[in-house]
Amino acid sequence: MEKTKAVGLILGIIGFIIPLMIQIPGLSLAGHLAMSIFILAAIFWMFETIPIYSTSILVIFLEVILLSAEGLISHTDASYSPVAYTQFVATLADPIIILFLGGFVLADAAVKYNFDRNMSRILLKPFGTDPKYIILGLMAVTAVLSAFMSNTATTAMMITVIIPILAKTDVSDPARISIALCIPFAANIGGVATPIGTPPNAVVIAALNQQGVGIEFGSWMLYAMPLAIVMLIVAWYLLLKLHPPATSTLNLDLKGEWMKNRKAYTLYIVFALTVILWISESLHGIRSSIVALFPVAVLTLTNTFEKEDIRKLPWEVLWLIAGGISLGIAMKETGLADWVIGSIAWDQMGYLLLLSLFGVVAIVLSNFLSNTVTASLMIPLGISLATSGIIEGPASILIIGLVIALSTSFAMVLPISTPPNAIAVSTGVVKTKDMIVAGSLIGAIAMILIILMTRFYWPYIL
Amino acid sequence: MKPKIYILVVEDEPEVLDSIVRDIAEFEEYFEIEMADTAEEAEQIIQEILDNEHMIGLILCDHVLPGKNGVDLLIEMQKSERTKPTKKVLITGQAGLEETVKAVNEANLKHYIAKPWEKKELVNITRTLLTDFVIESVKDPLKYMQVLDAQRLAEEIRTGRHITDS
Repeated sequence: MEKTKAVGLILGIIGFIIPLMIQIPGLSLAGHLAMSIFILAAIFWMFETIPIYSTSILVIFLEVILLSAEGLISHTDASYSPVAYTQFVATLADPIIILFLGGFVLADAAVKYNFDRNMSRILLKPFGTDPKYIILGLMAVTAVLSAFMSNTATTAMMITVIIPILAKTDVSDPARISIALCIPFAANIGGVATPIGTPPNAVVIAALNQQGVGIEFGSWMLYAMPLAIVMLIVAWYLLLKLHPPATSTLNLDLKGEWMKNRKAYTLYIVFALTVILWISESLHGIRSSIVALFPVAVLTLTNTFEKEDIRKLPWEVLWLIAGGISLGIAMKETGLADWVIGSIAWDQMGYLLLLSLFGVVAIVLSNFLSNTVTASLMIPLGISLATSGIIEGPASILIIGLVIALSTSFAMVLPISTPPNAIAVSTGVVKTKDMIVAGSLIGAIAMILIILMTRFYWPYIL
Repeated sequence: MKPKIYILVVEDEPEVLDSIVRDIAEFEEYFEIEMADTAEEAEQIIQEILDNEHMIGLILCDHVLPGKNGVDLLIEMQKSERTKPTKKVLITGQAGLEETVKAVNEANLKHYIAKPWEKKELVNITRTLLTDFVIESVKDPLKYMQVLDAQRLAEEIRTGRHITDS
């Protein structure tokens, strides 16, 4: 076992035991247990003692045996009425998980029938041969695709698009760096645009749902997409300033052919219909998680998506999200979240300062931790902050949710910050230093914009 | 300790051995290169590598060797579970048709390089076969992107889902 993992294991166990050894006034036994689980999960997630999805599974398991009505511990405390174990387990079928399942099936089927690559080919065509606009094109296409597919898969696909371009550019041309960096950045940015763009969105939306705050697919886009578009342009401008292309023309060698068979056509139609139904939720009123069952059903019943494909779905990501959601449930139900919020003198800080604090902590943490993990750790506290009335103002609960979700996604300073960053650095074209410089600037600008949005944008459209 | 991937070069003439190793030096940063001048020595090295939980990604093997010949060594490796995935290449001037056919049929020979070879050819074959090996046998292909066929490794990440959003 590596040193850091071993350290994590020891710290995790110690962290788990501490809340059980002390008596915190005003916190139920269940609250103490929830704190143990929270600390254990946070440490395991940070040190990656075990894979992050297995920490999520462990969270659900511990909640069931320690906190549920059917578990091993009988909770007699008046302040906690035990939750049915099904509530922790049911997070695996949470509407947002079903929405993601639909998104995963759609995305994997798109890869299977080369829909993603052919789309990128078509979308890139209008951008010509000027490196500046090619980079813009690459970013726009990456962002659009990653809004509906996983950021990682989109990055991998776009890397296969840019490798031939990189091979043809002079080794000393800074364009190589801007091309190689623009892909992961655009993939990270694109992920914020829709609810299914990236897993942290799911964790936040699920937590908001539990507070009775429903978010339509299109509404999320209205809240988050303007930021994605502005940041895409900012990132483009920054990359061109930092690494201006030396060559004046680049040739995109876009070969490929649309697959033309019954199954491929089925996918094209189902993909288009699903996206249209998602975006137009406010017109027909069918929830996005229900719409998500449509591609799953149609693609499997037409054998477009087969048994092997179902097996290859990234199930561990769904566990990861479910673990995050159920951690939130445990913290809320046991009163732990309220206790944490109540024990800090927040009232010293103003509304904006508080939101900024959450945003900054989220973006900093998320540079080192998984984005989903960051969102999972912060959203229960954020929600308590809003429900306990410490932050007020219109729709404060939604705003704190957006701040957390968006801030985690704009963490792209290091190769370890997100899988897309790791892929880009692996090509060897980008130095970590280049990523740190550009990523920090993008993160800082995004943070400022997010804070401005809490004041000047969201209050007016919510 | 992370498992390393080895390239094993088996050749009895020191100058030839040197020149093979020199030609594939660009892989040295990411792969361990081991040399042997007989099949028997190679077997010993293979055993050591496997005992330490490492893998052999590629063997470049001469045919005519003192003692056991190259084709027999490759066939033996093919029969053993842990060296079956190893990509096998003959570099030789003297293997006859019969032995070559045997190597193709029984050792799943991936390539036959006739001496004298060109550096570019050797490097390309090494890159292609190591990429195959990494795709088939390594969970996280990311760290080899820089030295191997990045296009194919990225494609593998796209379709194989080794890495997912987190």
